Amino acid sequence: MSQTSHDSHRIGRRSLLAGGATLFAARAAHAQKRFEGQRITYVSWGGAYQDGQKKAYCDPFSEATGLRIDQDGPTDYAKLRLMVGSGRVVWDVVDVGAAFMHGAEQQNLFEKLDYSVIDRSRIDPRYVTECGVGNIVFSYNLAYSTERFTADNHPRVWADFWDLQRFPGKRMLNASAPSTIEVALLADGVAPDKLYPLDIPRALRKLDQIKDNILWWETNSQSQQILVSGAATMGMINNGRVYDSVQKGAKLALSWEQAIQSVDYLVIPRGSRNIAAATALIDYVTRPEPQAEFANLMVFSPTNREAFRLIRPELQEWLATNPAYADKVVLQDGLYWRDNLDAVNRRWTAWRLT
Amino acid sequence: MAVVFALPVGALLMRSASDPVWGLQNFRSLWEEPVYASLIRNTVQISLATTIGCILLAYPFAHVMATQPRLTRLLTLVVLIPFWSSILVRSFAWMVLLQNNGIINESLLWLGVIGQPLELIFNRTGVLIGMVHVLLPFVVFPLYGSIRAMDPALMPAAACLGAGPVRAFLRVQLPLTLPGLATGAVLVFVMALGFFITPALLGGRRDAVIARMIQLQVSQLGDWGMAATLSLVLLVATLLLLGASQLLVRSPARRVAE
Repeated sequence: MSQTSHDSHRIGRRSLLAGGATLFAARAAHAQKRFEGQRITYVSWGGAYQDGQKKAYCDPFSEATGLRIDQDGPTDYAKLRLMVGSGRVVWDVVDVGAAFMHGAEQQNLFEKLDYSVIDRSRIDPRYVTECGVGNIVFSYNLAYSTERFTADNHPRVWADFWDLQRFPGKRMLNASAPSTIEVALLADGVAPDKLYPLDIPRALRKLDQIKDNILWWETNSQSQQILVSGAATMGMINNGRVYDSVQKGAKLALSWEQAIQSVDYLVIPRGSRNIAAATALIDYVTRPEPQAEFANLMVFSPTNREAFRLIRPELQEWLATNPAYADKVVLQDGLYWRDNLDAVNRRWTAWRLT
Repeated sequence: MAVVFALPVGALLMRSASDPVWGLQNFRSLWEEPVYASLIRNTVQISLATTIGCILLAYPFAHVMATQPRLTRLLTLVVLIPFWSSILVRSFAWMVLLQNNGIINESLLWLGVIGQPLELIFNRTGVLIGMVHVLLPFVVFPLYGSIRAMDPALMPAAACLGAGPVRAFLRVQLPLTLPGLATGAVLVFVMALGFFITPALLGGRRDAVIARMIQLQVSQLGDWGMAATLSLVLLVATLLLLGASQLLVRSPARRVAE
């Protein structure tokens, strides 16, 4: 995220933050500083993303409850498994991706959340499970260069992405199977509601058609670099990354048709010694104020619809859970990937090597 | 050494036969899934090519470093400064340099050397450029040591006895510096086997390596058994190659010494 783009909005952000915190403090007034003297560890993906969560989720909560929240990171699934396995759990609240969340939930790596404390009615039910509460939604969209393509003739759906005649140039896709398999099937005409279980051979045959014109990205920063530099004229990329690039002057635009949506969850590793405080923090994050604050900082979409009224108007078009996109986007099936990632990945890697 | 190194490594490798249950299921899938063999072949190819690239570049470099005292300090810095920066930063820097509209292609196009941008990145070329760059110091320094340790009178002596420069190099300098060269080459090869960030960022579809698969098994899938199996294969392959290189290096070096 560029520093300057935030500085110009600093006043709006600060007052919003203060507003949210006061509201919360007023409500929690009878339980004044109820976690005074306690401390927990919050773990997320590091960098600007975690800084944003610290500001939006942790700081106002600390202020209101006296809870000291230490930051650690980045989220490391192997570390989390080892902690829970060895019974030495030093992480209390962790931001994890959907496929891992579903798998680890099944393997009993998390505490079951206490929904008498966490008000799950605030969150879209599709983003809540027994052990995880969705805190943000992001999407992989079709983004394209506005220098190469005009406003009335640009790639819009994944079938256009496959059309090398109408839209020439290199394309960019995610180097891992999840979401890339989905867009290949959408391009081949599979209806969004018939997508799962994924037809892997069909997706790979579809990818064969354009595989010599694809650049593959492994990390989000790389995806941004490839599109901004013009090495590819269009690509599948995280919505927030396109926002960031455009703020920095890149000539890019994105389509919301058939964008693949995925969720990050907050979980409590099994064996945490601070379950009460961790649960209260997760409940706080389901409120509109912290969610809106994080969206304002990092352009990751809220899971609480109420948050939209607190999000700066110019950001709303960039957010994956914007109600206007509800019938365009496709929610990735975390349960499918939980059960099939291993097998699909082996076929995927084999295909890549051919 | 045995406690802090061998024990944990042993415990991890044990998991190849014990995780998720005792048995040979991990080795069976290693055998039955052709993708693992392809990944190992890819890894060995990339590591070998990187090693050769490092040797070809490092030898003249170390030679100048060892024989031109005035340039020694500058050349040492040239190798070391990139060595201290993060591998991620260096990969991104290569992307900027090597892409189709990057500095290298733009300059060559402007000079009229090429008519079409060269495909320097997102393929094997990119992987090798990136990996040679990262691993070069590991050959340069042992070689530098070997060349410095050589008696400076030997090459003029060979010339006096009628050996041309090529012959003097091949019969005198090369055998004498072979131990340093071999040390560097083995270091580079072994380290290259475990690389996955550079191939991932600078490579293309076909440049997948085994270490990336191991990382995925551990971090995403939590499949320690399969990760341990792949690590065991990598370890055994490394030990075999190390043994073979020891045999190869010893004989000619000894011949000159005796």
